[in-house]
Amino acid sequence: MIDALHTLSLDAGALLASGGHGHSAESAAPAANAAAPMLAIVLQIGVGVLVFGILLCLWRMIRGPHLADRVLAGDTMAMLVAGLVIVLAIQMNSAMYYDAALVVSILGFASTVAFAQYIGAKHKHAPDPEPTPGVEGGH
Amino acid sequence: MQTILDTLAIFFLISGLFFMLAGAIGVVRLPDCYHRLHAASKCSTLGLLGLVLAAMLHIGTLAVVTKGSAVILFAFVATPVGSHLLAKAAHRDKAPKWHGTLSDELAEDIAKADTDKQGETRSKKKRKTRAA
Repeated sequence: MIDALHTLSLDAGALLASGGHGHSAESAAPAANAAAPMLAIVLQIGVGVLVFGILLCLWRMIRGPHLADRVLAGDTMAMLVAGLVIVLAIQMNSAMYYDAALVVSILGFASTVAFAQYIGAKHKHAPDPEPTPGVEGGH
Repeated sequence: MQTILDTLAIFFLISGLFFMLAGAIGVVRLPDCYHRLHAASKCSTLGLLGLVLAAMLHIGTLAVVTKGSAVILFAFVATPVGSHLLAKAAHRDKAPKWHGTLSDELAEDIAKADTDKQGETRSKKKRKTRAA
């Protein structure tokens, strides 16, 4: 009897706590989020999918015939890592990982722009392969 | 309410993961640097959109929604710009094209601009010689 009362009071306390901050999924009552187990399964699958995508991009980065292929594989990998960070943020139910996602996407964009400048500037200062006769380089 | 939000989050999560996987497979499977750039930029942008929307729906605090909006805005501005820069640089570096490529309008435009510039310099030269 006392045990039953104890569990009842514990349940009431849990309900009150879940009412206190309603957005946290763990402390809510099981009837309130029927989609939580499905979400957990999808998150597990999502981590696997994103890691598989990172491995594919790594293969392209190793294999890529041109330098631009490697750079775009790195850009895609940065986006995949940002997605992985966001999936982990959903799993941990925490807001702190968003800064990491933002930083990773900004760094990926900056590195892509820098490598694009490098690839494009490789031929900028080299002389033209067939200089047309009679015309000086006007620019 | 949480059930509805979580169901929507599952939907966006699955769509985002689909786009991410399609982009990664496209980066490996497509035959050409420009094709790969198409797959990478488009699918990374839409995949990140889906994942961030799922996180915003699931957690739903003000800080998360603000940071997620910043991430989405940045991704939708930065990724097309970066891939355009990369495609232009690869074109300037004469990256190998797929054998089935039908037209290269940028090369035609560059050649046309070069001939126009040569014509201008020639006419300027003629004018200079006449003035002299």
